Amino acid sequence: MSQLEFRLPDVGEGLSEGEIVEWHVEPGSVVTRDQVLVDVETDKSIVELPSPVNGTVVRLGAAVGDVLEVGAVLVVLETEERSAASAHAAPEAPEAPEAPAAPAPAQSPSPAEAAAPPAGALAGRVLASPATRKLALEHGVDLAAVAGSGDGGRVTKDDVLAHTQAPTPPAPTPAAPASPASAASSGRPARVAVPPLKDELVPLRGLRRQIAKSMTRSWTEVPHITEFREVDATALVAARALLRPRMERDGVPFTYLPLLVKAVVATLREHPKFNASVDMAAETIQYHGRRNIGLATTTDAGLIVPVLKDADTLSLSETARQIEVLANAARDRSVSTDQTSQGTFTVTNFGTFGGWLATPIIRPPEAAIAGFGRIRDAVVAVDGKPVVRPTLPLSVAADHRLIDGNDMGGFLTMLIDYLTDPVLMLEAS
Amino acid sequence: MVVGEVAEGVDLLVVGGGPGGYSAALRAAQLGRSVMLVDRLGEAGVGGVCLQVGCIPSKAMIEVAEAKHRATSLREAGLQVEQAQVDLAQFQTWKDAKVAGLTSAVVGLLRRALVEVVAGDFRFTRPGSGVVQSLDDRPPRHVQYTDVILATGSRPLELPGLPRDGVGVLDSTDALALARLPASVAVVGGGYIGLELGTALAKLGSRVTIVEALDRLLPGVDAALLRPVRQRLKALGVNVLLEHRVQSFEDGRLTATSQGQAVELAVEQVVVAIGRMPNTDGLGLHKIGLTPGPTGLIEVGKDRLAAPHVAAIGDITAGPALAHKATAEAEVAAEALCGLPVAFDPATIPAVVFSDPEIAIAGLSPDEAKAQGMDVAVGRLPLGASGRAATMDAADGFTQVVVDRATDAVVGVQIVGPHASELIAEGVLAIEMAASPQDLVGSIHPHPTLSEMLPDAVRGLLHRPAGATVPTAAAVGAP
Repeated sequence: MSQLEFRLPDVGEGLSEGEIVEWHVEPGSVVTRDQVLVDVETDKSIVELPSPVNGTVVRLGAAVGDVLEVGAVLVVLETEERSAASAHAAPEAPEAPEAPAAPAPAQSPSPAEAAAPPAGALAGRVLASPATRKLALEHGVDLAAVAGSGDGGRVTKDDVLAHTQAPTPPAPTPAAPASPASAASSGRPARVAVPPLKDELVPLRGLRRQIAKSMTRSWTEVPHITEFREVDATALVAARALLRPRMERDGVPFTYLPLLVKAVVATLREHPKFNASVDMAAETIQYHGRRNIGLATTTDAGLIVPVLKDADTLSLSETARQIEVLANAARDRSVSTDQTSQGTFTVTNFGTFGGWLATPIIRPPEAAIAGFGRIRDAVVAVDGKPVVRPTLPLSVAADHRLIDGNDMGGFLTMLIDYLTDPVLMLEAS
Repeated sequence: MVVGEVAEGVDLLVVGGGPGGYSAALRAAQLGRSVMLVDRLGEAGVGGVCLQVGCIPSKAMIEVAEAKHRATSLREAGLQVEQAQVDLAQFQTWKDAKVAGLTSAVVGLLRRALVEVVAGDFRFTRPGSGVVQSLDDRPPRHVQYTDVILATGSRPLELPGLPRDGVGVLDSTDALALARLPASVAVVGGGYIGLELGTALAKLGSRVTIVEALDRLLPGVDAALLRPVRQRLKALGVNVLLEHRVQSFEDGRLTATSQGQAVELAVEQVVVAIGRMPNTDGLGLHKIGLTPGPTGLIEVGKDRLAAPHVAAIGDITAGPALAHKATAEAEVAAEALCGLPVAFDPATIPAVVFSDPEIAIAGLSPDEAKAQGMDVAVGRLPLGASGRAATMDAADGFTQVVVDRATDAVVGVQIVGPHASELIAEGVLAIEMAASPQDLVGSIHPHPTLSEMLPDAVRGLLHRPAGATVPTAAAVGAP
């Protein structure tokens, strides 16, 4: 019988501290090896820490909300041969591995087959015609979330289309350059009950604190210049429509994002200043050989920016696939520190929230960030006549210490060329 | 050198040429895929059980049997036929020609869609690969597929103690291929197949006994729908033995037990129609990590995918083993494998029984609707209220519409009567469109037809003052 001090391990590359989110055990709990003891939130993710041994919890090293340095004692365990202590089972033990589901009772073939199909549940089914259902599927709209305008709440095709136009943040708008956040979501907006407002003081912790620090540093240290443009997205829309069925054969959603990332990556090759970092202390400019693109991803806990490494070496389908993987990892907070580091340029998608134009904030030590709005029909002048064209608004913010207005103009012109005529990207690849 | 093991690449592979399989092949081809369809019998097997030995042949037999029966049952109306006879051998020739015509029509569609049809049984060897073993001595073909749709269907269950021999003990396929009518026949199984076969054989002139182990015919079908059928069976002289378990058949004697008592029946032939089992046992599913459920069914998602690149449709998936379910699923599976956003999500899958009179069901029965917590209103019109039915000398049956008052939507339609199988489609449309009773009444139906019964059944539900009695004979008489 001996006591073991289980210390907060470095669960990610360069992690220095972690915040206790939830304890799954309490003093006296009997734990088995690999049973989850505690959820710890690091800068980027929530990590479940399992017990290294069989034993009994003697003492917890910190309370929920405490921030612990790496190496601090997390929990003290008494290791022993599994004793009769099992009477005192962990009261809040995490879900035990599911017992293998009991096999359904074997139905011996009925001597008479049923002629009638078992009737499915119709109660609670949204009233909508098959054509409306198909339209909803095509637009990724959950019918249950659509307010039906017909008798008794019947949902019409127009209702579905109107729903796709509505700028409800949680519901991705397929017409918009979907962000990673929208890429894999089911289109089912989360329904959150709104609690009454109250006075409340909460500590700045975890991801929120990290975002706050990073944004403050950027806003106070980096002199931003921001430029706004609108791009004729006719060819981009056509390109995505053409590529989509092929790209999605493997079940990976194909949004506009991979195309936008490809355009950025191609532009960075000719404009290395946008893929660089300024170090004022050392008075150096570090140009980066790799093009690692950060993807601003909305999660329930806040913004996380997983990084698509060496995006210039990836095929379009591989780009789409990795974006999906990274976005999912960010959303379920399983993203590793490695997956969120070494970015050289960031892409953000305020279009997901119905946005038109915005002023993106640079993520130091990066030198620039590109933001994309939502593609929508706009009247533009073509050959002196007003014409309706799908239009993509975009803005680029750059670090003025490194980048001047004429650099910005060159970068934007090339980026817009690629987005207006995506086929030009073939030349860059 | 083992030439046969050089695998050929297949873009989209369909296994099984039944209604599900060939529909999936056609849809995939339409979407630009290069398709190979494998069926045990090759082009000769296209159409599957449904076309070759199921739906189509049985309807042919039922049609002829009904024509013979009606020739002698309208005597009161003045029709004088001394003796109607059916030459079963001639019937088989005629039926085979019809089946051959339909088969070649489907083969033509597949050829025009450039679908390669291959004869043999497919089994998986590993994910993405499999082998087609033909029934003759040709070497096996190894294929590597990108996507596969499994549509292998089902086969008749055998009864332990009563194995099929094709002479005395028949399955439904044998019964539909009879070239000579047995003087007496026992049909084991009171489900829809047994009921349809038994009725047809009785009308053709056999002495028919239907033997069912449970306490009722057509388990799962609302008892009210069955009443007119039971009356007609009685009139046709069909003997129905419920709660009888068949033991053996020897020397023209069928032995069954009922409540511990042994019962013997002298019959020339026995037709076993006790159900079907899914054809999933020979596919080598374990090679791709799939395990069918205890009854052999493959679990699929709404997109009909059982695993990435692997779809399953029709009788080998949960739900009624009906051709129209398979064809509807085929479209979904093919589109899902082409990356389209699709789901198999029907409000209802209709079921029809070609009994006499026919039974057709869509959506919920009144009891099912109540069980789902609906505020239920039921409109019901007896067949006797229909002028057209009177001219057909048909009186036994009704049309019933189940409405959810909360949403004012039709959620169920049940029809018993002539052509119920045709009439139910309007009920399906009403349920899918969430039509209200007013929608049915507001759509003008031609007179005099049986189709009028649907709006007339719900007319009474509109603007009904509390406590008022509403005449139901709305459709009687001239316009």
